[in-house]
Amino acid sequence: MKKLVWLVSYPKSGNTWFRMFLANYLKKAQEPVPLEEIQPASISSDSVDFEEITGLNPFELAPDEVDIYRPEVYRYLSLNTENDCNFIYKKTHDAYTLNILDKPLFPEDVSKSAVYFIRNPLDVCVSYANHGTDKIDKKIDFILDEGAILAGKRKGQLRQIMMSWKSHVQSWKNQSLIPIHFVRYEDMVQKPVETFGDIIQFLGLEYDTELLRRAIMNSNFRILQQMEQENGFQEKMQLCKSFFWKGKIGNYHNFLSDEQVNRIVKYNYDTMREFGYIDKEGKLTV
Amino acid sequence: MDLQFPVEVENLCFSQKEVGNIVAPRLSYSYMQVDEDDFVLDIHNVASYRVQKGKEVCICPHKNSDIASIRLFLNGSVLAAVLHQQHLLPFHGSSLIYDNMGVIICGHAGIGKSSVALALCQNGGQFINDDITPVRIGQSGPTIMPIKTHIKLWDDSLQKLNIEYDHLERIRPTINKFYLPAQKYFSMETPLNQIFILGTHNENEFNVTELKGMEKFDKLRKQIYRKSYLKGMPETRKSYFKQILQIIESVRVTVVTRPQLCDIYDTMKCIQKELAK
Repeated sequence: MKKLVWLVSYPKSGNTWFRMFLANYLKKAQEPVPLEEIQPASISSDSVDFEEITGLNPFELAPDEVDIYRPEVYRYLSLNTENDCNFIYKKTHDAYTLNILDKPLFPEDVSKSAVYFIRNPLDVCVSYANHGTDKIDKKIDFILDEGAILAGKRKGQLRQIMMSWKSHVQSWKNQSLIPIHFVRYEDMVQKPVETFGDIIQFLGLEYDTELLRRAIMNSNFRILQQMEQENGFQEKMQLCKSFFWKGKIGNYHNFLSDEQVNRIVKYNYDTMREFGYIDKEGKLTV
Repeated sequence: MDLQFPVEVENLCFSQKEVGNIVAPRLSYSYMQVDEDDFVLDIHNVASYRVQKGKEVCICPHKNSDIASIRLFLNGSVLAAVLHQQHLLPFHGSSLIYDNMGVIICGHAGIGKSSVALALCQNGGQFINDDITPVRIGQSGPTIMPIKTHIKLWDDSLQKLNIEYDHLERIRPTINKFYLPAQKYFSMETPLNQIFILGTHNENEFNVTELKGMEKFDKLRKQIYRKSYLKGMPETRKSYFKQILQIIESVRVTVVTRPQLCDIYDTMKCIQKELAK
């Protein structure tokens, strides 16, 4: 049975926010659910899950070897995860790729659908630099790098092939085996009822207007920030002050020079235009 | 060809022929099959392995594989199958004698079990096993079985522990992790007194919690090495259930949650402090 729903994004693009919304929606929560409620739905690149399920130490395999076994991990999860809802929601930052045996990392036979959260790469860059406490130029290099990867060294998460921001988007857009719904972070902020409602309908969940509004309220960015301040959040990096930082649209204006903006725009122009970050006249929309 | 298999088996052999498949195994993946007394593992470009009745191990190397890789999986995932088939409860942890106490440091891959155990051995401890520690219930309680697994450490850990590694053997040709021969292995079966479960968090402080009652049981169950095999080994699982219940009667179990970024010796000191209690 196809049980896995992939929640896909480049880092810092609204994935965790959506998972908090979804936790509130599925639980029909009256009060905001705590941040730790989304922990069980860990990321697809979790090395502990990998080792527990495959019986292989992922750090004693080359990353390409790990990718041979990853589809099996997801098949196992699909067959063996018991939860209250019919589906398993799994966050992922991986681009859609094939492993060295030419098999998709995300196996079609257990994948029900995918939701792709896309955010203006200029804001991604700034938010991502804060998350990892890196210099902005280093993050720009990363999101323009076709060979970009995350983790997979000797501890922590498994290697994730990211590619550049545009190639990450296109990798998922160009695959046809898993039904996919693209969601703009900016629309989640500016027209939440419509945007979150569309996702609920795409996922085939029961649509309840009151519940939708309440789940949006309960996962409001300020509430998430407050919960993190009070109780912490495991997805934050140790040296980063907070996971939920600004969340603002167009925050890049405060941090990126014209030269830095031009580098990102020039490289990602077509994809940015396709998703409305650049208008017909070629101007940035935010 | 010296495979240095850490436990005694009746037959450990190489074969040119494929190791075959298990008929109707209880647990089956594309690369692994598990039944109560039979186990097959196929590692891409390395080898196929078959373990039967806890005493026969057959290895069919793949074309162009290297002996280091064959040995690595033999002494990890395949060794686990041998131990499970022999009902020797293996914990995912490194073990040592410290202050006359038998200690296991458990935790998932990459958490720093070996480094901390070695740091303790640089400060008075004596190494028993790396990464995998079988525990047997003897007449006087649970004991650690020495199986002489070789210590495996990453280059950065070796540097932090002030150990030169230029001359050390890599665990696989492309991985910067090395076998470190222990100065002195403790080779006697020894009573188990304390288990630490290492974890990490994104805070800057250490968090130490001694577990009580069934909390111990729940946590220890999760520390079984290659416990995924047990889905295909219901009898072994039952046997372990009883053994863990016996272990928690006499063994202290402490969860040590360390900062994601911290010094090996700070973790060592935290554990030393607990051991002194």
